Amino acid sequence: MMATRIRQAVRRPAHRTAWAGRAMLIPAVVAVGIIAVYPLVFSIAASVSDSNLGQQFTDWVGGANYAALLSYGVTLPSLGRSVVFALASAILALTGGSVVALCLDVSVRSGRVLRVLLLLPLMTPPVMAGVIWRLMLAPTGGLFNNVIQTISAGAEPFLFLGSSPAAMISVIVVDAWQWAPFCALLVFAALQTLPAEVYEAAQVDGAGALQVFRRVTLPLLLPSLLTTLLLKVVLSFKVFDLVFLMTGGGPGFDTTVSSYDIYRTGFQTFDIGMAAAQTIVFLVLVTIVILPLNAVRRRAQEGAS
Amino acid sequence: MTVQRRRSSYRLIAASAVTAGVIVVAGCSGSASDDEGAGTLSVLIAAPQEGAGKILEEEFEKTHDVDLTAEVVPYDQIQSKVTLDVQSGTSAYDVIQYWYPTVGVLAEAGALADITDWVAEDGDIDQADFIDAVYQPYTQYDGKTYGLPIDGDTHVLFYNKEIFERNGVEVPTTWEEYADVARTITENESADGVYGTALLGSKSAFNIGSSFFNRLATMSSEPIDSQMPQLDSDVAVEAAQAMLDVSEYALPSPLEIGFEQALPQFLAGKVGMMEFWTDLGVFAQDPEQSQIVDGWGVAPLPLGPEGSVSGALNAGWAMGISPNAADEDLAKEFVAFASSAETNEMLITTTGSGIDPTRTSTLESEDYAELVPEVAEVNEQVLPNAQSWPTSPAAPEMIQTLGDNLALMLQGNLSAEEAVADTWDTWQPLAG
Repeated sequence: MMATRIRQAVRRPAHRTAWAGRAMLIPAVVAVGIIAVYPLVFSIAASVSDSNLGQQFTDWVGGANYAALLSYGVTLPSLGRSVVFALASAILALTGGSVVALCLDVSVRSGRVLRVLLLLPLMTPPVMAGVIWRLMLAPTGGLFNNVIQTISAGAEPFLFLGSSPAAMISVIVVDAWQWAPFCALLVFAALQTLPAEVYEAAQVDGAGALQVFRRVTLPLLLPSLLTTLLLKVVLSFKVFDLVFLMTGGGPGFDTTVSSYDIYRTGFQTFDIGMAAAQTIVFLVLVTIVILPLNAVRRRAQEGAS
Repeated sequence: MTVQRRRSSYRLIAASAVTAGVIVVAGCSGSASDDEGAGTLSVLIAAPQEGAGKILEEEFEKTHDVDLTAEVVPYDQIQSKVTLDVQSGTSAYDVIQYWYPTVGVLAEAGALADITDWVAEDGDIDQADFIDAVYQPYTQYDGKTYGLPIDGDTHVLFYNKEIFERNGVEVPTTWEEYADVARTITENESADGVYGTALLGSKSAFNIGSSFFNRLATMSSEPIDSQMPQLDSDVAVEAAQAMLDVSEYALPSPLEIGFEQALPQFLAGKVGMMEFWTDLGVFAQDPEQSQIVDGWGVAPLPLGPEGSVSGALNAGWAMGISPNAADEDLAKEFVAFASSAETNEMLITTTGSGIDPTRTSTLESEDYAELVPEVAEVNEQVLPNAQSWPTSPAAPEMIQTLGDNLALMLQGNLSAEEAVADTWDTWQPLAG
């Protein structure tokens, strides 16, 4: 009898604790539902419907929107451009950021002012960055073409944003310029966590600076580099403002990446059904690119630990 | 918690409650006094018309006991703003300024009220005074009236007299002559940063669309069909080819040149000639922003072999009333005020308003002729014959497709024939 009472007394709090735990999860579940699940379900539903901005879900169209985007000559190339843009700008930003971080690490380990200054491009609103770079890259009166004219008077202006592939390269470089400080900051933080003993051992063994970098710093830093790369690739896939402001997706469609294509479909021609289908396909593409990258990052992290 | 800290907490809560009460009471009393006094009117204004919007706001408030709020948004967002406003039931706007090619899509979406009866019955509106070429496309959809014109925009040809003299060229009257003049000037002076022309080739509708419709309107013997412009005709290909012919000699690079890039270059004396809105005449005479004061001239657009003096209604704004307007009478009063002959004349003679005549009386007004005599003279020939862009519910998609294909043409990826044929093919399913 006594044993039963004790068991009930023990069970009751455990039971309550389990329910309390579940109840505490409710806000998080609701938040995830609102932030992630609802938009996804809405997008999927819209993608199989005839929807415009004024009237959504007017008709069930099945896979017609998906078939239409396959035949529409802009969407598939824009997916390819998104991959090129995301990988190129992420690698460029990470490389530039890593170089800056290594320089900072060697020269000014606690250079707070310098670090704040380095963050300036990141803190510049993308709208301003886009406008400023567009002006600097303008064929007439732009800073870069003025320099070209000074060096070689009478030379034809170089069309940074009006020719192919210069336009895409220009947007990639500007995006990398803006995000390199973000990468530098993350890589610099990671550098501060590397164990000093390993470097001391390498010094004792007579390793040169290049050898230390190749055999010590790089392997230890690799998981952080891959994490930063992953973050930057995701951010790069989302690029819109720079394309909108600098090139408007042109010349032709040369810088029309997926996010800009979706905007055009949804907010210029107001075909919400088609825009939703483009979004779903884009989501699949981003997942296909991100998953292997994430697997490599996880393996590198496990290897390091 | 000590007794003292608990008391402090009670005091803090009491103080907060009193403060909140004061704020609520103040808020309520504020709104009550607002309600007792002036009426309110919310007007959606397109960004290119911000200057005119401010003037209209000031002038209307001077003569009416009203608190007018003008919200300025980019022109390409007006359609989504008002559609969502109506669909969601928010009803934030009473009066909507719209770009006239969107009249069909806005009417179809239920974002504009049908004002046919009011316009027909209210004698003060003086419907007959509106320039018919402007009034019809700006306001009509499916036999009903959805707005009144505010700004009758069209393009004319501006040229730099000094550059023309230096190069020994005459004002072109045909598109072939236009290309020749552009080539001559560019070949002679591009090394010094001076170009024969500025071709508005940037992919936004106002730019590349204007360049195409200018040529189509002045080359074709038939007026442009505002439901389905005749892109299956030879003249459409010739219009596209005329853009291509001149692009080589235009301010680099046409694909990057919109009106905001072209205007300062022309005012700086770096461009021999360009097609532009008539209000350029006002800017060109302003010594603060122009280096070509008294050094410019204006003429009608060049013509094609079968064309006549004309132009296209590039940009162009009207005002309509939201079906959910809180005070419909006040909204009507504002639209009537903004589109009246007096207001139009006041705006076209005010520097920086960016407004052009919409009425015969203002087009022929003495004050307008006195302010910009040359422009007024040319505008009088062109505007009554100006031709419309598409205005059907499919117009936004049609205009975008056309702009895309023309941009691909200027980029060298399509020929003029291909650009026009691809556009026509894409338009066919939209016809219904």
